[in-house]
Amino acid sequence: MPAPVEVGEIDVDDEIVPDRPWIVLVWNDPINLMSYVTFVFQKVFGYSLEKATSLMLDVHEKGRAVVSSGAREKAEIDVFRLHEHGLWATMQQDD
Amino acid sequence: MARKRAFIPPIERVRGGFAFNIGEDERQLVSRLLTELSQLLMGESGDPRLVRIFPPAYHLADDAEADAEYQRLMREDLVASRLSGITTVTEALQAPGPVGEEAMIAFVQAINGLRLVLGTMLDVDEDHDPDDIDDTDPLVGEHHLYNFLSWLLDWAVRALGEPIK
Repeated sequence: MPAPVEVGEIDVDDEIVPDRPWIVLVWNDPINLMSYVTFVFQKVFGYSLEKATSLMLDVHEKGRAVVSSGAREKAEIDVFRLHEHGLWATMQQDD
Repeated sequence: MARKRAFIPPIERVRGGFAFNIGEDERQLVSRLLTELSQLLMGESGDPRLVRIFPPAYHLADDAEADAEYQRLMREDLVASRLSGITTVTEALQAPGPVGEEAMIAFVQAINGLRLVLGTMLDVDEDHDPDDIDDTDPLVGEHHLYNFLSWLLDWAVRALGEPIK
């Protein structure tokens, strides 16, 4: 069991980060097969074949697509899992 | 008596998993390529052939520091994940009987990893035409390998999409 932590005074001047979500993007690339990209979207995110196909086509036709969003930690895990599958995925804080 | 089929796919879903309907030569070729990929992954981290295996996580210039941190913390995990997948695949290629779902997923990841390295070496771009291979190209062998792996990967993904038998 964790030891109780004394809560100090919160320094409000210290890094007030706006609570904007992070988005995960997948970029079009000439190597990854369309069928493979669709498969990865289904497997990593549990998306339906329909949704995964539509995202894959967005990547292919528009050059990139937002495939997930959320807190920074979650976005980083998504990016890592996409990298494990060889997809060209990056993240940024949403505007 | 088994029904004769005109065409047998190189990889298909069967009862209890997936079957590799490829010859011993092809199994050995894939295993050899995966061994080379393992060595590459464990070698020089700045090797330009690995650029697509380790893409940036943060693409904005403002996030350069965050990306350096990501690469520092996650690269080792990415290598470990790839190496463990390659071991699974190499064992599955030698095992008799059907291959499980987990090994088949490791297979598509590993084959795609090989394609990323070969595609980087061959400078594959949007205009890449797999049917147009110049026999005088010094990398003609790599072009054929790339096509072979694309073909295999496409069938593997198709098999994974088939309903469980």
